[in-house]
Amino acid sequence: MAFVQNFPFISILLSLFAGPISSVLDKKWAKRLNLFVIVAIGIMSTAVLIFVLGSGQEYVYTMGHFPAPWGNEIRVGILEAAMALFFCVVMFLCVIGGVLERELEIEETKHNLYYIMVNLLLCSLLALIYTNDLFTAYVFVEINTISACGLIMIRQTGRTIEAATRYMIMSLLGSGLLLLGICFLYSLTGHLLMSNIKGQVALIQAAGAYQVPLLTAICLMSVGLAIKSALYPFHTWLPDAYGYSTLSSAAILSSLVSKGYIFLLVKIFYRVIGFDIIKESKVINVLFVFGIAGMIMGSVSAIRESDIQRMIAYSSVAQIGYIYMGFGLGTTAGIIASIYHILSHAATKSLLFIASSGITDASGKSNDFFDLTGSGYRNRLAGAAFTVGSLSMVGIPMFSGFISKLLFAQAALENRHKILIALLALAISTVLNTVYFLKTVIRIYTPEKREVVIDKGFQDVAIWEQSSKSIAMICLIALNLFLGLCSEPLVALIERGLEMFA
Amino acid sequence: MNSYIMVIAVLLPILGGVLIPFLPFGKRNIMAAYIEIIVLITSVLTFMLIFNRPADAFVLFRFTGQLSISFRLDATGSVFATILAFMWPLATLYSFEYMKHEGHEKIFFMFYTITFGVTLGIAMAEDIVTLYFFYEMLTLVTVPLVLHTLSREAVLATRTYLYYSIGGAAFAFIGMIFVLMYGNTSNFIPGGVMDLSKMGGNINLLLLVYVICFCGFSVKAAMCPFSDWLPQAGVAPTPVTALLHAVAVVKAGAFATLRITYFSFGTELLRGTWAQYLLMALVIFTIVYGCSRALKETHLKRRLAWSTVSNLSYILFGVLLMSPIGLAGALTHMLSHALMKICAFFCAGAVIYKTGRNYIHQLDGFGKKMPWVFGIYTVSAMALMGVPGLCGFVSKWYLAKGAVESLNPLGYIGLAAILVSALLTAIYMLTVTVRAFFPEKGFDFEKISDVEDPNWVMLLPLTIFVIAMFIIGLHPQIMVDAVAGVVASVF
Amino acid sequence: MDRKLQKLHLFVLITLLALALAALYIVWSGEGSLTLFYLMDNIPVYFHVDALARVFVTLTSIIWVLVGIYAFVYMEHEGKEGRFFGFYILVYLVLIALELAGNLVTLYFFYELMTLTSMPLVLHNGSREAIMAALKYLFYSMCGAYCALFGIYFLYKYCDTLTFRAGGTLNMTLVSGNEAILLIAVFMMLIGFGAKAGMFPLHSWLTAAHPISPAPASAVLSSIIVKGGVLAIIRSVYYIVGVDFIRGSWVQNAWIVLTLLTVFMGSMLAYREKVFKKRLAYSTVSQVSYILFGLSMLTPEAFVGSILHVVFHACIKSVLFLTAGSFIFHTGKTRVDEYAGIGKHMSLTLWCYTFASLALIGIPPMSGFISKWYLAQGALQSQTGVFRFLGPAVLLVSALLTAGYLLPVTMKGFLPGKDTVVEEKKERLDKMNAVLLILAAFTVLMGVWPNPLIKYIVEIMGGLF
Repeated sequence: MAFVQNFPFISILLSLFAGPISSVLDKKWAKRLNLFVIVAIGIMSTAVLIFVLGSGQEYVYTMGHFPAPWGNEIRVGILEAAMALFFCVVMFLCVIGGVLERELEIEETKHNLYYIMVNLLLCSLLALIYTNDLFTAYVFVEINTISACGLIMIRQTGRTIEAATRYMIMSLLGSGLLLLGICFLYSLTGHLLMSNIKGQVALIQAAGAYQVPLLTAICLMSVGLAIKSALYPFHTWLPDAYGYSTLSSAAILSSLVSKGYIFLLVKIFYRVIGFDIIKESKVINVLFVFGIAGMIMGSVSAIRESDIQRMIAYSSVAQIGYIYMGFGLGTTAGIIASIYHILSHAATKSLLFIASSGITDASGKSNDFFDLTGSGYRNRLAGAAFTVGSLSMVGIPMFSGFISKLLFAQAALENRHKILIALLALAISTVLNTVYFLKTVIRIYTPEKREVVIDKGFQDVAIWEQSSKSIAMICLIALNLFLGLCSEPLVALIERGLEMFA
Repeated sequence: MNSYIMVIAVLLPILGGVLIPFLPFGKRNIMAAYIEIIVLITSVLTFMLIFNRPADAFVLFRFTGQLSISFRLDATGSVFATILAFMWPLATLYSFEYMKHEGHEKIFFMFYTITFGVTLGIAMAEDIVTLYFFYEMLTLVTVPLVLHTLSREAVLATRTYLYYSIGGAAFAFIGMIFVLMYGNTSNFIPGGVMDLSKMGGNINLLLLVYVICFCGFSVKAAMCPFSDWLPQAGVAPTPVTALLHAVAVVKAGAFATLRITYFSFGTELLRGTWAQYLLMALVIFTIVYGCSRALKETHLKRRLAWSTVSNLSYILFGVLLMSPIGLAGALTHMLSHALMKICAFFCAGAVIYKTGRNYIHQLDGFGKKMPWVFGIYTVSAMALMGVPGLCGFVSKWYLAKGAVESLNPLGYIGLAAILVSALLTAIYMLTVTVRAFFPEKGFDFEKISDVEDPNWVMLLPLTIFVIAMFIIGLHPQIMVDAVAGVVASVF
Repeated sequence: MDRKLQKLHLFVLITLLALALAALYIVWSGEGSLTLFYLMDNIPVYFHVDALARVFVTLTSIIWVLVGIYAFVYMEHEGKEGRFFGFYILVYLVLIALELAGNLVTLYFFYELMTLTSMPLVLHNGSREAIMAALKYLFYSMCGAYCALFGIYFLYKYCDTLTFRAGGTLNMTLVSGNEAILLIAVFMMLIGFGAKAGMFPLHSWLTAAHPISPAPASAVLSSIIVKGGVLAIIRSVYYIVGVDFIRGSWVQNAWIVLTLLTVFMGSMLAYREKVFKKRLAYSTVSQVSYILFGLSMLTPEAFVGSILHVVFHACIKSVLFLTAGSFIFHTGKTRVDEYAGIGKHMSLTLWCYTFASLALIGIPPMSGFISKWYLAQGALQSQTGVFRFLGPAVLLVSALLTAGYLLPVTMKGFLPGKDTVVEEKKERLDKMNAVLLILAAFTVLMGVWPNPLIKYIVEIMGGLF
């Protein structure tokens, strides 16, 4: 066994222990440790990825060398490693992008707490990615929820507390359903390890027995995770949670947390139930319908919003809708598109959040739409970054959004019955995205009268003034362009990863 | 062979344009010279390409296996490229004078020049992906031009423009996906590339997608339910409304519909189907609707914009006839409308530039004071009406011929619509002429004593366009032969 | 009169004469044709001299020169003579080209140019009313032109050639199966070209435009330019479509109904109208439809009658309008009831008017009688069912109405009654009434010796039926 194979396990442990250690460090060191952990895990994930690509097959890592069904397994394939790497990159950029906001918005004494939460979040995300055990997954889902709550609440205003509470309630409902689903599966199959369950499920299916309980289990798990990842109409907690929390939290929450659950759902589809059974079940139709409703309604809500952060938050609802629509198509191509969209949305949404904070910085910290007039001139980099993010969201070629749109559309063609609805929904949602994103872009490039600017005390922000944020934005723009221009190897990677999954 | 020249022709104005704000031009004239030289070189390159078409394609960049940005100049593309390469240098010359009073020149010329490259990209696109790519780019690079004045109307107009254009592209996207998936290739092949066996013979779905895609691309060509953006975009500086919103951008839309109809979906598949009839009905309605709106409008540039709406639908009508003569009509009208409308717009621009007047009722007696401008305006008005001897007649002749030969009731109705619209054109164009040349009795010319013709920089392009109008009108063989060649290559 | 104006008059006169002589020389020096350039792949701008063109060119040239001379005096009180004469000459050139056109597209080309160039004559005085009238003229004519163009497009497809050929050039093998649409196309052409000739339903421009323009302009509009529409209809019906195609079809019936309606309506409205020039304009509406009625009968006699009426009406109507012009020029009065006693000091003018009126009413042996005789005969010989009798009856009623609206001016003019006191003065011969005299003499002479003209028209007819 190569040493590299230990890396997934080590990275989970590393982030898990970095949390408690942060609590005894001061602010500065806690941050350094956190960044170090993220970078280290990123490097390790790269190594794992290279290893898996080299070996060409996934491997199972049994913790403590207990064999299944007693032991706890980690299963590593191309997709898992790539996902871990990507999550690390985005998280790193989000954390450094939000440094300034944290200084301002978080109480001095609470900073270590913040890094604990980030570390724990990373840990739980990695665990969700790697684990081969349903119950472990459930445990880390809960850890994930709690740390996410912490991230929301750390900026102590009334609204964030309320938002966190709502998030907590909805999330717990979701995890409750997930747990129920897992219980059902356990009682049906007698296993918690994913691969074992899959074998049993296949047998059950072949025998034609327990159809209703099996369907119920799929339902419960899908709905539970859908609630947690804010699929319409379970999205009500989302705008407040993303809109009012501190910048790095919002970015991390929108681009990573919900994606962790979605990735888990993919795993459940492929690893636990088996994609053929999922295809047959009606559950995906439900996901499809709600996905499309989300695509439309999320955008409609975003159009009505006049607070830029909340607008971006609502846009997440729409984007999550895309992802579930991809699931709903019930084809491998649809899943590939969804996974690609996870990447592209993560890259774009965190860019948008950071850029929007950049332009609000130049507008007296006001999120209000009218104060943003001309902010693209006051903070040029943020303006450009916001434009790039918007264009990507709208799906202009060259940017990542276009590729995922393309993949979705191509996937839709494989499903005879949903082809037209899916394509029209894509088109309409593009139009709606245009409406609110490009409206904002035009607004930030409409110059404000000089006297108004002076009157309101808006300051110009130079690129080097907020160096951390600038670096984050530049990197995210580059990531976006990379996803938009060099999609082919990535798609191939995802494809191979999914093959390994099944 | 020389296929790389295509890339140079596309990229030179784009890069040259991007550089404009960063280059330290000492004087305005140096900047003007720089821009004009870039545009001229591009035009010369384009003409070289048109007269000596490279046989092979040039792949600039590959997104994924299927998706690539690649160029190939075929006969049909050459028509569009000719329009662009002929008009851009002249329009740029006009803009130097015009933009003196608008300000922000560097930004303006940056995007103005970039747009040249992007539209050439559309003309030279080898496949539907490239076309789509440049189509989206075109929207983006023209947005700052519409926004130029930064007034409230400009902002609103820009928004509408963006929503419509990107929305249209979103629907066109659906068609593109179909071509990618169910076509034998994504390249433009005369006769279409769709492989029905791949889609299990579900022809109605394909037709529906064609309709959606056509509507999507025709947003730029301002087909009826999607036409509102064009008159609103008239707030942009005149060089933009004239060159982009009467020629480059809108013709790009029409060109794209032509491409998908003849080169992607294929006329064999579409002819005689409900899709053709539905779209024809829409287009016919637009022909009349645009004119009626033009009639109602009192703002000169907006009136001309509505007229463009109607005239673009002539082109679409020709495209939808799906016959060789119909296509010839579409292409000839593309050429001749470009000439006529840019002329009319430049005249309106000259008035705005010299006097700042926008509304038709302010133009009493101007014919006396600006004889060149209004003379040219009248000629272009007559050309738009389709008076024989000017280019408009030729293109209408072909459209009509196509309509008559279609033996299709909708073709006949379309012909009638074209004639009704010609009448309305006469009304809305000539009322301006009459006003300008024959003011009411007792009109006090002292009131407009400061009005005069603009200088040669503005008049030169106008005169050249008018001469071109006459040449094509009196000796249409030049255009007709060229177009016949193009049509022969398509069918 | 200042020298500048004199120079202008001299120049105009010389130009007009030179052009007219050139035109006459061209048409009378034998058959000939000229291809100018190609407007479309196989459609040249092509001129051809034939008998019909000869009649029209001669008529146009004579009237144009005479009215031009009249205008030298008349236009003094209208002003802007340079512009007027400029367009006057231009329209003349366009008209000659129109009349010499050898194919339908060339005809259409000059037909449109005729509209555009004659419009400034209408709006000459620059009042709001005049501008509106001119625009109305323009738009009605354009509407007509485009209706006609609709037909031309179809004829291009279904004809061997658009070059005029007596008897028509329809290609029957192409037509078979598409008769319905082609009939619609022909009908549109009739309506379209009929607009210029003041045929219902596109007639109302005429009564707006003719009265408002300066008298010389109204004279040529009424006498010559409306005939442009007539010529276009003759060319398209008799030389392109061919009479056989429309004989007995709904198109012929509809056409007859429209012309009869116009004849009757025009006379009725003229009868009710009090403004002199408007009355004359309504009269034109009615009289030109006599011509169209004759053409719609599609019989040789009626055709002769129509061409005769073209010639006669041109002379008569110029006299009438020029009379009105003289009245306005000398008295400034426009309404019929103000002309009481005008014969006392403008006797010469009024006598010319009277003779022309009698001719128009059709009192033998005046010219109008001859043409109407042929028209009625042609109608009776035609196979048009009820219209064989209805047509002549309407013509008769309309003739009565004509008498009713033209003669009161004469009567009141010479016999004002006791209440009106009018100063008696001998009218001196000047340029204006000299022109009137010449034209009136034409009407009388042609009525007395119509045979050479009739013979010539019969020559034209060869091959048409």
